[in-house]
Amino acid sequence: MSETVDLALGILDHQLVDSEDFRCGKVDDLELEGLQDGSPRVETILVGAPAWRGRGIMGRLAAALVRGRMVRVPWSEVSEVDSAVRLRKPSQELSLRRADQSARPLVEWIPGARSEG
Amino acid sequence: MKRIFEVALGILAAIGGFVDIGDIVFNVAAGALFGYQLLWVVVIGVGAIITYSEMCGRVAVVSGRAAMDVVRERLGFGAGLVALIAGQLVNLMTLAAEIGGIALALQLLSGLPYRVLLVLGVLVLGVVIWVLPFEWIERVFGYVGLTMLVFAVAAIKLRPGWSDVGAGFVPGVPSSNLAVYAFFAVGLIGAATVPYEVYFYSSGAVEERWTPKDLGINKANAIIGYSLGGFLSFALMIMAGALFFPKGISPEALGTVALGAEVPLGQIGLLLALVGVLFAVGGAAIDSVFSGAYNMAQFFGWEWGKYRKPVDAPRFTIAWLVMLVLGFVIVVTGVDPIQVTEFSVIFSVVALPLTYIPILLVANDRAYMGRYANGKVANVFGIAYLVVILVVAVAAIPLMIVTNMGQG
Repeated sequence: MSETVDLALGILDHQLVDSEDFRCGKVDDLELEGLQDGSPRVETILVGAPAWRGRGIMGRLAAALVRGRMVRVPWSEVSEVDSAVRLRKPSQELSLRRADQSARPLVEWIPGARSEG
Repeated sequence: MKRIFEVALGILAAIGGFVDIGDIVFNVAAGALFGYQLLWVVVIGVGAIITYSEMCGRVAVVSGRAAMDVVRERLGFGAGLVALIAGQLVNLMTLAAEIGGIALALQLLSGLPYRVLLVLGVLVLGVVIWVLPFEWIERVFGYVGLTMLVFAVAAIKLRPGWSDVGAGFVPGVPSSNLAVYAFFAVGLIGAATVPYEVYFYSSGAVEERWTPKDLGINKANAIIGYSLGGFLSFALMIMAGALFFPKGISPEALGTVALGAEVPLGQIGLLLALVGVLFAVGGAAIDSVFSGAYNMAQFFGWEWGKYRKPVDAPRFTIAWLVMLVLGFVIVVTGVDPIQVTEFSVIFSVVALPLTYIPILLVANDRAYMGRYANGKVANVFGIAYLVVILVVAVAAIPLMIVTNMGQG
């Protein structure tokens, strides 16, 4: 991780990857704290459709059309930032990738769904 | 030695994978209408896809992030979503056109009804995607698609005036019919740069787990593979220029295109041409199915990849299945696949800057790319093509309207 990271270009909208190397959402929005006391820091990563509300007109529109829960990932769970934001734990422990869990039964029944392509 | 072999195999697949229904339709129509005069535009189009996919492949290799990841990172959620929607509409139209092309080629081979073959074609595509590993899909279709080279043999056998062919590589403007000429120029550039190729190519670099060691392969695939793929485009245009142009035939059916190989080479030429078209178009259909799923997953952050078990990337798996079904639904309504092809190519030109610009920006970003950022050569081409892409994007719709889709 380089010394300075541009939040808008280097973190926001980047891929989240869990400790097992699964992709588990995007950095949909960020919560900052300490803006008043002059030492701002990223406190929380917001993941999921409701987090798009803070992302302009298209974001509000998309959030209104898509159902989904928002997951808050504390910045302390971040292990590393490269081209992705890497997390310390598996998705399940952070309540991420729940939509993949609920979509699983839809493909599970197809022969070969458990073998690598 | 093994390395050289691998590179050669990749290049072969790139050649076969270059041509799709858009290239077939636009190159043959351009040759039939303008002879060899538009050959130079194909050179520009091939240069565009080389520049674009080399950058996109390099970004994917260095960062592990494919095209739509980069688009969202750079454009943000709102503008990124616009790029996603535009990209997906074009992908879907392209897919519908390719599926139609598969059924048309099968119909010419078997004589069975078109709609039956649409169903059959889609089922076979679904099974192939489900069962075959990524590398196999890419290669099988790429290699068999190489039988399209029969059009090169046909072009030579038709004894084109080689000095006229040579003159076609010199940029020029005709004295009449300028708008239609410009429309086909835009279409030829669009057909060479259909966006699914880049989505697929960059995601494929991640699928095959390329590392910076493979940057040489990336460059070779893009430059040599696509140049030789462009050679197939030349062959199609020269064939049409030699056969259809003097007679004033404008080929509106795929069967007429295949005639281009049958006239000089007989039954065997026809057979090879149809098999080549079938596999080239089939491969393109699979690439565009995957591109649709890659784009969704990369924009929304889902787990993706053919290298994953389907149960480990369920939303990605559902996305490609849905994509395939939607493509089928569009063509089964009975729309003319050739017309869908023309629309998909023209709209892809309009949407192209939305993905090209973010990728050019990231490929230049040293914070992101480190020492693999664009060098001088990549930037000269990258920026020159930015201008070309912006010009054709702005000109596409007005030309489409003025010329009534090239009808004049």
